[in-house]
Parts: sequence; structure tokens; C-alpha cells
Amino acid sequence: MFDKILIANRGEIALRVLRACKELGIPTVAVHSTADADAMHVRLADESVCIGPPTARDSYLNIPALLAACEITGADAVHPGYGFLSENARFAEILEEHNIHFIGPKPAHIRLMGDKVEAKRTAKRLGIPVVPGSEGSVGSDEEALPIAREIGFPVLVKAAAGGGGRGMKVAQGPDDLSNALATARAESKAAFGDDTVYLEKYLERPRHIEIQVLADGQGHAVHLGERDCSLQRRHQKVWEESPSPALNVNARDAIGETVAKAMRELEYLGVGTVEFLYKDGKFYFIEMNTRIQVEHPVTEMITDIDLILEQIRVAAGGDLQLTQANVKFHGHSIECRINAENPVSFRPSPGKIVHYHPPGGLGVRVDSAVYHGYTIPPFYDSLVGKLIVHGKTRGECLMRLKRALGEFVIEGIETTLPLFRALVQEKDIIDGDYHIHWLEEFLAKGGMEQ
Amino acid sequence: MANEPKKTTSQARERNPSPTIDHDLVRELAKLLDETGLTEIDFERDGQRVRVARHPQPIAGATGMAAAAAPTILSTPITAVEPGKHPGVVSSPMVGTAYRGSEPGARPYVEIGSTVSAGDTLLIVEAMKTMNQIPAPRAGRVIQILIEDGQPVEFGEPLMIIE
Repeated sequence: MFDKILIANRGEIALRVLRACKELGIPTVAVHSTADADAMHVRLADESVCIGPPTARDSYLNIPALLAACEITGADAVHPGYGFLSENARFAEILEEHNIHFIGPKPAHIRLMGDKVEAKRTAKRLGIPVVPGSEGSVGSDEEALPIAREIGFPVLVKAAAGGGGRGMKVAQGPDDLSNALATARAESKAAFGDDTVYLEKYLERPRHIEIQVLADGQGHAVHLGERDCSLQRRHQKVWEESPSPALNVNARDAIGETVAKAMRELEYLGVGTVEFLYKDGKFYFIEMNTRIQVEHPVTEMITDIDLILEQIRVAAGGDLQLTQANVKFHGHSIECRINAENPVSFRPSPGKIVHYHPPGGLGVRVDSAVYHGYTIPPFYDSLVGKLIVHGKTRGECLMRLKRALGEFVIEGIETTLPLFRALVQEKDIIDGDYHIHWLEEFLAKGGMEQ
Repeated sequence: MANEPKKTTSQARERNPSPTIDHDLVRELAKLLDETGLTEIDFERDGQRVRVARHPQPIAGATGMAAAAAPTILSTPITAVEPGKHPGVVSSPMVGTAYRGSEPGARPYVEIGSTVSAGDTLLIVEAMKTMNQIPAPRAGRVIQILIEDGQPVEFGEPLMIIE
């Protein structure tokens, strides 16, 4: 097991990782920018090192500073959290070159899944169902048109270097294709430095369902069920739940085993999430995230498995002690991501939290790094915290969520709590009858202006 | 809030600045050095430590109490202003290990009392085997040295004060 873990992240996930380290009895090093000197996890860590000024580029993305912090503290492992350098294969390799363990997948797999064209090719090879699309990237418009016709319009032009919903343009028919290709290429070049694009069938109103996996790098892997993350705004997940209201036990077992088998063949190491679009009973692979995800608590609540702890354990060379038969699902869980934003305009609202009272009680979990009197810095994402509830049934879960939202006090900044209070009253949400455009359609027709 | 985390750098340690240098003590020690022919005397009293040492030649910029043999004096710092907030503070631009000289154990670039010009090297911060020279941002006199040779430093950590 590791002697000392350096947490290369901030905010709620840094605190989450710190909690797992404490429970494992592993000393922790918190690195932070000057803007995060008062962060909760920095206060609770055994040691802390200021690594730079507020900008992420000069601090949390600053590989030399992170390495130097490992050097002066003697940390022998780094947990990258999510975002920042968590899916940076080069960072993982640099750490390994310096005999520091990267708590995450093998660099080759990070690289593989980071290239969306290669990821899809690999998924297909491993028997994971994919969205019909071009075999690889498409070059000219002339090349693209027959492929698009074969896939069937509407088609989606996607950036190979993209991900997380970025760098995508829809072409409804042959006349739009040229324009969609040009725009997607230009945006991709600007955002990712690479204008390689590929084509996929555009699915109308699918759900977003993802499968959580855990593997030990030696050919053993299990799936930990699915999460339905269809409720999104601008491709950012807002509400996640497990099980998906759309799946039954058989559907889950089938897709879960397909994914777990693929991970065994790949000899994947650590946690990962395989994301699908789901429509009319069929799954279509879109991408794999080779890191812990924001919404991991939902899976923890229904499986009683501590995903961060397991991540650390397998990274330290532990065998996967779980078999698929050991993995049991119980009840239902929902997570709401609460942001420091105006609930109608979504304008960011950083600032000082003058009153803070999180909800509690049976089945209520709040993963947040804020506290009474904390000032949310303007330099990073606007996540205030995650409210996660668990119930024996989806109905009980919704009641509990409504109750918990009613108790939650965050004053001094604007938050999206009112959005969730509105969502729990909506019939479609109560029925579990929604898709990836539902939330934006709800907002567009003035769902929050009542 | 709960425990203050232990920092790996000097900010964790208390600093107890003495109000003045005991000139009489230093003169007495320097005299003892001459009389006895010793090369070094290290004296500690009431938390204040003074070392007088004879070097073959004076170190550039060191203040000597006596003219000829120029013994060097190390004493605890004398400021009342919190180091990080002093207008003349030089802070670390990076994470690493601070060395007073060009390499571990080498002669320090500067001592307390040293006069420096803008751009003169004050110390080295080493990270991942790369030695980074830290320059004086302005001309002046070194009045406080806040780090020890070989001490880990973080970004923004006060290293020295130049007036």
C-alpha cells in the first residue's frame, strides 16, 4: 500500500479522496493554488503545499510543480481526481518515470480512450455495440457524403479529439453536411488543436446511460451497474440516478457483462465509465472515461462499495476481491449537482457563503467542500456540492430528495437549488420519462419562470 | 476549525525574533576567538544563537564586527513585521528545495547584511534536479533570511527580505 498520497485536485473531489485516504490510514498531501489556501481538504490534510497562483494552468495543471511537491513531501502516489490531469496520459507516464504511482488506468488505455476514433474502433473490436458511423475519420466533403448517406441522415459530425459533448455538429440532410463539417473542424482545431472529425448517426432523443466498471489490471473486472445521466444542460450532467428508470434487471445484466468482459480482455486497471446512448432498447457506445466520475456516489449508494478506496487498492497492486456475484444492488439513488449559478440564467455566482446548512438524516449524503463562511473562488468550476439521496424505491428516493432540498440552506451566493426543487415536482421526472434534450426543452419553454 | 495541517515548510515552525543583536556578546566572542586562536565559537542563550567563525578570507558582502579576520555572524532575525507582508519580501516562485549556495553545502550567495544589486542571485530553488537561481528583484540589503539550507519551500513562501 502507498506510504503517502498527494491529491492533485481541489474542491469536493479532493475532499472525497482525502476521506478515503484517512479511512485507509494513508497520510495525505494537499496541493493547492493561492486561491485555495483555505480549502477544507487543505485544512484536513496531513501536509499541504502551495503550488502556484490561482490560474489552473499555473497550479493544478502545472506538472513540474506537482512533481516538485511529490519530491519535497516524499509522496509515492498521486490521485488525480477528475478533470485537470486525470486523463492526461503524459502526466501518468511522467509520474511513472519518477517512480511515483498514478492512481488510475494504464497510460496506454488513457491514450486509447482519449482518441474518440480509436476508442470507438476498440469498443467495436471488443464486442461493445457502437453508433453506426464512419469507419475512421473523414477527410473531404466528397468522402463524407456517401458515408453519411449509408449511415442515414441526420448525422453528427464529431471531433476525434473532443469528448464530453464538445466539438459536435448536426447535419440534418445532405445540404447541411458541408457546413457542419467545416464548422466542426474549425471549432475542434480551436478547442483541441486537432481538426480530425468522424461521422455518426444522430439519434433522436436518446437517454444517456453509463456503466461503471472496476478492474485490477490483471484481467479481472466487474460492472457496478448503470447510471442514467440524461438530464443535461449544454452537455453538462445535472441530475444522475441509478438504476435507470428505463432499464430492467435483464437489460442491465446484459450490457454490464458485455462491458465487464471487454475490460477483462483489455486488462484494464482501476475505475472507468463506459457511456452509451440508449434508444428503443438498444445501446450505442459513445465514449469511455478513464477516471473517477463526478457522479460516482450514486453507484456507491446502491452497491455499498467505496469506489475511491477500491481505486487506491487496485492501483497499489491489490487483486479485485469482488466477483460479479458479490456485487449487489439495493434501492435507488439520485444525485443533484448544485452549482453556484443563477437558477434561471445560469450566470455564475461566486462569492462568500454567509449561511450554510446542509440536509441530513437517513439516506442523505452531501459531498461538498464548502462550509459556513467559505468564499467560492471565481477561477474554477462552479460546483458547490452534490446532494445524493438513497431510498428503498425510486418513489421513496424522490420523497427524500424533495425533503432534503427543502432543508438545504446556502445563502450569500445564488445556487441551482431552485432548479432541483422544480424538477422534483415535474411529472416527467417523477415518471422517469426523460431523455438527453428534456432539460433544455424544459428550460426553453420557461420551466423555471413560474 | 480542527487541527492546523503541518506544513512541510518553515511556516509551520515558530519564529521567535529577538528584539536586538547583543553587540557586547558578539564583541566578547570575537575577542575570545582572537585570544584563544579558535576558528569557531557557537553560543546559545535564551533562544538566541550566535556563531562566530574565522574564515581564511572575508565572504563577499558579510558584515564583520572586527576588521581583520572578518568573523561571520549568524543570528536570529530582527524584524517586527510579519515576513510574508514585508514590502521587501522575496517569495518563492516555485515548489522545490532551497539552497543558500550554488549546490548543497556550498558557500551561501548572500548573508544577512549583504548588499545586492537587482538580478544578483540570492539562492537556488531546486526541483527535479534542476537548479533555479532566484534573483534579487531590486537593489538593497538583505535584512532577513527566512529559510535554511536544504529546506523544502512552496509557491509564495517568503524566502528573504531585502530593504
